[in-house]
Formats: sequence, C-alpha cells, structure tokens
Amino acid sequence: MALPQRKTDVGPPHYKQFLPPVIQKNYGKWKYHEVITPGSMVHVAESGDKLWTVRCASPRILSTDTIREIADVADKYCGGYVRFTTRNNVEFLVSEEKQLEPLMKELKSKKYTIGGIGPRITNVVHTQGWVHCHGACTDASGLVKSMMDELYDYFTTKELPNKVRLAVACCVNMCGAVHCSDIAVVAVHTKVPVINHDTFKNMCELPTVIGSCPTRAISPDPAKKSIKINEEKCMYCGNCFTVCPPIDIKNPERDGVAIVVGGKINSLRSNPKFSKLVIPYISNEPPRWPKVVAAIKHIVEVYAKNARKHERIGEWIERIGWEKFFKLTGIDFTFQCIDDFTFMRDTMRTASTFKW
Amino acid sequence: MAGKKYNTPLIDDLEKGPWPSFVTEMKKAAKNNEMANDALGHLEKCYSTKRGYWKHGGIVGVLGYGGGVIGRYSEIGDEFPGVAHFHTVRINQPSGFFYNSKALREICDIWDKYGSGLTNVHGSTGDLVLLGTKTEALEPIFAEYSSRGWDLGGSGSALRTPSCCVGPGRCEWSNYDTLDLTYALTQEFQDELHRPTFSYKFKIKSSGCACDCVAALARADLSIIGTWKGDIKIDQAEVKNYAKKMDINAEVVNMCPTQCMSYDGKELKINNAECNRCMHCITRMTKALRPSGERGATLCMGSKAPIVVGSLLSWVIVPFIKLEPPYTELKELIRKIWDWWDENGKPRERIGEVIEIKGMRSFLEAIGVPPQPQQIKEPRKDPFMFYTDADIEGFKAKEAEEKKTGKYKF
Amino acid sequence: MEKEELKNKIYAFCEAAKGKKKLKEKDIIKGVSEAESVPGDEVKKALREMIDVGKLMYSYGGGASSVEIPSEEYLREKGLIK
Repeated sequence: MALPQRKTDVGPPHYKQFLPPVIQKNYGKWKYHEVITPGSMVHVAESGDKLWTVRCASPRILSTDTIREIADVADKYCGGYVRFTTRNNVEFLVSEEKQLEPLMKELKSKKYTIGGIGPRITNVVHTQGWVHCHGACTDASGLVKSMMDELYDYFTTKELPNKVRLAVACCVNMCGAVHCSDIAVVAVHTKVPVINHDTFKNMCELPTVIGSCPTRAISPDPAKKSIKINEEKCMYCGNCFTVCPPIDIKNPERDGVAIVVGGKINSLRSNPKFSKLVIPYISNEPPRWPKVVAAIKHIVEVYAKNARKHERIGEWIERIGWEKFFKLTGIDFTFQCIDDFTFMRDTMRTASTFKW
Repeated sequence: MAGKKYNTPLIDDLEKGPWPSFVTEMKKAAKNNEMANDALGHLEKCYSTKRGYWKHGGIVGVLGYGGGVIGRYSEIGDEFPGVAHFHTVRINQPSGFFYNSKALREICDIWDKYGSGLTNVHGSTGDLVLLGTKTEALEPIFAEYSSRGWDLGGSGSALRTPSCCVGPGRCEWSNYDTLDLTYALTQEFQDELHRPTFSYKFKIKSSGCACDCVAALARADLSIIGTWKGDIKIDQAEVKNYAKKMDINAEVVNMCPTQCMSYDGKELKINNAECNRCMHCITRMTKALRPSGERGATLCMGSKAPIVVGSLLSWVIVPFIKLEPPYTELKELIRKIWDWWDENGKPRERIGEVIEIKGMRSFLEAIGVPPQPQQIKEPRKDPFMFYTDADIEGFKAKEAEEKKTGKYKF
Repeated sequence: MEKEELKNKIYAFCEAAKGKKKLKEKDIIKGVSEAESVPGDEVKKALREMIDVGKLMYSYGGGASSVEIPSEEYLREKGLIK
C-alpha cells in the first residue's frame, strides 16, 4: 500500500478539537473546584456548568492495548475526552454527573488505581532507565513500581500534611525535574571511568572531552592520542561518557542510588527549592530495591508525624533545621552531605544557633 | 507468534503488587510484537547483571529534520535481534495533553503497524513517546503521522517541544492562556524545533500561576509563570463557609509569607500592597479569593538539571509581561534571547550557564531589559564590579543636575 | 554568487571538516559566509535546501547536534540511491 504524502512543519494538532464541549463553552471561565474523593474532583464554571475529573495512575510505559482501553472507557463515559497530566496520570473528563459513579465502578473493576489528588503522593516523574537509556545506572520504572507498591495507600486514600512529589532519575542528567522534588532517587556512578584508548581517537574530539568535565579532571594523554583522568578530581558525573562513548563509566557493582529531599517547584508560601542530599549511596538491588523503598517510606512517615498541616517536606525541614531532620530520621550524616562542588558558600552554616 | 519466549523471573516480580505494572504493559505489547518481546528479554538481562546495554544515540532521523527521533541500538543485538535497532520517536503532544479517543486510536494504529507497540504517555519533555522502532520504519512512520496532522517533537541542540499546564482549559487560577500560547509558540518556531541550530537544548514551559504544574521554573530555559497586578478580591460570605470547616488563622493567615492578611473571626482582610502573589491563600480558599486586575506572566530564565556545572532554577528576567495573541512582544524577545545565546554560547552550554559566564548585564542589555529589583533576591555583596565610562558619565550628569536643582536624586 | 556554486562551496566546507571536527549549522553558516562574502541568510537557505534533499544531513553525537555529509547507508535508507 502506498504511503500517504509526508508533510513537514505542521506542528501538533490544535488542542481545541480535543476539548469536551463543556470546556469549549467555559474556557477560561472556571470559578472554583472541589476535591470530591482522592481520585475525583469537580470544576465549576461561572455559568454553573460542571466538569468532573477522575484521575488514575499509569505506569508511564503504556502498551497500545492499554491506550485503546483508555479510549474505550472515555467513549463510554466521557464522550471520548481524556487527558494526561505532567506526572503521567490519566484524567477522564466527565461532563455528565450521572456518568461519574459508573465510570469509577468500571475503572475499579478493571483494576485502575484511582487517586493522586490533594495532599497525597501522586504519580512519580521518572526517566527511562534500563528500559531504554544508554546512560542509565539503574532502572527507573522498576524503582517507581517498587516504591509505589509500598506507598500505594498514600495515592489512593491516606492524607499527608501536604503533597509529596516523588521522582526517580536513572543518572545525574536527570531528564525531568527530579532536582526539585520532595523526595527523589538519583542514580549515581561511584567510580572513575575506564577509557578505551584504542577507539578514543576515532570516536571522540579531544577538546570536547576535556571541556565536558565540570571538575577539570581530564587532561590530554599525547602518547596514547587519548586522555587521562585525575582520580582525585573526578566526581563520576558521566558527562565525558555522554560526549565520548569509549569512556566507560558503567560499573554494576559500584553503581547505585542516592536520595535527595526537600525540593519543591511551586512558590506557595516559600520559594522553589532544590532537593538536598541525605543518603549518598544505596546499592542497586533489582528487582525491588528494598532498602531504597524502606528509606523513602521512613522519610515520608517521619514527615507525616512531625510536619504541620500544609508544610511541604522542605518547608518542614527548614523550620526544624537539618540537624533535627537527621536526628528525627536517624539518617547518618556523611561527608557527601557537605557540598564540595558549586554550592559550598551558600550551604555551610555561619552561626552558632543550631539545635543539639 | 513466532518469537522466543524469554524466562523473566526478576521482572515478573514487578507484576505483583497493587501499583500498575510497566512489565505487564511490556508483556501486553509482547504478545503480538517481536520487538516488544525482545525488549522484555533485554530488560531481564539488565536486571540480572545490574547494567544497561543500550548504546549512545546514533545518526537516525527523517529527511530534512534534525530531531524528533532518538537513535537507540543495543550492544547485544545478536542476542536480542528485535531490539538491535530500537529508536524512539517523539510525537509533539497537543497543548495540555488533551486527546479524544479517535486521536488516541489513530496514534496506536500507526504505531502498531511500524513499531513495538510500547509508548510513554508522556515523556519528561512532554512529547508522546513511541518507544522502539527500526531505521527503515522511520520515513513511513513520519509520512503516516504527518499526513494526519501529527508532527515530531524536538531533540538534540534545538528548541524542545514546548509544554504547559492545563491552564484555562480546566483551572480557575490561570493568568493567561497557556494552551494557546504553547500552540502559538510551537507553530511560530517550527524551524527551530525541527532543525537543530542552537548551542544546546532550549526548553520553554508555561504555567498559568505560581503553582507551576509543569515545573517550568526548575527545568525550562524559559519559564513562563502566570501572575497578576491587581488586588485579591474577597467573597466574605464564602470566607464564612470556609470558617465552618477550617481554621482560617492557622491554615491561611499565619502561613502567609508576607503576613499581609488578618482574620478576626468575621472578616478576612488582605493588605494587597504587601502581597507577593504566592497563591497559598487562593489555593486554600479558592471559592472566596480571586485575583483581579491586569493579568500576564513573569518570565524567568536559565533553569536546568545538574549537568554540567550544577543545577539552576530560573531567574526572574522580565517581572511582568502581558500575554495576548499574537504574542508579538514575547516572540521578538525570544528571538533576541536566541541571538545573544548564539553569539556567546559554546556547544553544550545551556543559556543559564552562558548568562553566568558572560554576566547578567550583557544578557539584559542585549535583550533590552532594564535592571530591576524584582530580578534579584538581594544586591551584590562584594564591591568588585564593572563600570563603563557611560555609567560614570551618567552618575556625573545626575550630580550636575542635582547641583542645579539643589535636590539629591539617589 | 549563484546558488549552485554556493552549495558546492558549502559541500566542500563540510568535506574538509569530515572526520576532523563536528560542524554545527552555525559553524557552516559563519565559515562559508566569511570565506565567500555571502550573507549568512543566503548560506542558511542554501544549506537547508541541501539538507531537504539529503545532500547534507543533521547528525547527533557526543550530546550535540551537527551537520555532515550523509553515508551511503543513510542515502539508501532514504531511497535517494539504489
């Protein structure tokens, strides 16, 4: 069969054709919304019209079978209209109230996980991991699945002082915004890369490789027509590997994950914040990463017990102080927690007013 | 199907438990698809050896474009021929991730014909990601999608697919039309999106308010955050209703970062001159509180993840801009920003890093934005600074004027 | 300068860098524009026409995009040679 004629530069389809009539009618004229259950909410327009939303988790990797199933459900209850969220949730958009209960019933019978709205843990932003990335030092999808099996109730029912945004990055490139999450797992290399000098000269540009190193650990090795890496300066970021494949940084026994906490994106109450390192290393333990999961659950529980209502993890920690956070969680404070990269000036304490 | 059945005990474990399983999704696709089947075997091997086997992105794409396809090959393609080539295709998502069932089925039908049947809905950038196909399928895939009105997203040293929050489509807090702006910018900059001419990637993300539901401030080179200039209007009758179910002083007034609110049990008051529009009170009492007056956005720039020299959050560049179609002022500003970056950036330098290296003054002057206190948290601490002759002449001229008038102007 | 001649100069510029330096689109525009005293916009336009027909191609490697002369394998895949 002949292929249709390709077109270039058409851009995405116009979003308007995908908006249900109730949105088209009340576009930009929404008055308020109310959360009905942890997985459903209603938006009310100035006209009095209402739009109900039912939110379900997705594993981000979806088969076309599942997408078709979502389309079928949308046809049955939503006039075919459905959207997705930045954090990989599916949102069924319901224009008629009488469809809400039957929709929820069908989703439950099909084992969809409904929830994620309000002061809870919503779906996890994450990267490709071993499923599809060349630079991955762990598997993001497997970590997310393992974490969320354990934290499931915080998505579907249980409340927390405020939202807790989780994220997983399978290397320090951090595709997605894990560096400003309440709790994030970031996979790390911990050993100086090994250079394949034979293929280096054909595959890599010397100045680019030298320039790629943020700690200036790389210098030319003229004898080998290659480079050498100063082991005392290398922080294993892997940027040299990105620009030059013969620099092999993968190391199954040494690659692992770190845990960072206290970041946030929004400007509510306090300014957006980066997440900060609290646990520098946990070994990769597929398929379930039990220690990583336990650490995250522990931090969530200590936060739930100690924070005030509406405080995000980072706000709670800033109020009580980091020394108190380490005490309450019992997490060992290590050298890695003290910045020796770009933020030391901003992060060392300059007063004697701390807590014991 | 004829494919090999792999023994996958490790990843099978990830089908257990209540959270939706990506392994189940991979298995669904694998039922009818050799590539997806080999992807399962390939992943099991990663789990058993604790390492990945994908090679760096290769040189693949569709004719004329320099992005939208991420080349992916396996180091162990002999063992798993179905994933020897396993390229990613990025489809530019509609603004706000809105779809209808017909569109979703269309995407699936084409993908089943040419690819693994696996997707990411959506990828981190915002594109709808088609996960895994062979080189020879790329042109047919592009012909099928583009002829039906779908285009590829961005990748490489180019404008990345712009993305936005749900905006006026379903949110009472949006201060400008994020959906329309994102569509308009994506259309305006098709060339920059498909043909990589930049030093490195450039991301534009648009959020309608300070809640920033697309995390623009943390990961976009240009973060467009909706805001307003007028007062917060109060519906005191609704305040009374909220008082029945919440402690307004504890949950709202006392959590206000500028302490510009008070509540005496009867009436809620806001000193709007002191409000910094953080959105906390509005999100807690959405029926009672609404912004009013001029709407628009704050333009912030420079955020990125840690590679290469540390993470950045976006800096305030333009405290307020009105955003109405056809968005001429913003489009012209973006072009000026790119011109300066093009002039000053080295390969793989994000604009935030270039601004740090070349100095904020160079950047602001090039794009025609004056220095304003809204741009900073606090002024410079060290007395090391540049003076141009023109700066000093300006200071001297001001002093001469003061001598004439007898009045100091600081 | 005639467009065809300009395209030949662009091609020669890319050929000279082959295997030595990864050229970014702006390197070519700047380089050819200066060497031949042709406005950058004209070079850009000619370059685009060449890329559209597979005379040159966008490439990606080392974390950045570049422009290069296509391999036979690429041309065959695109149906531009048999």
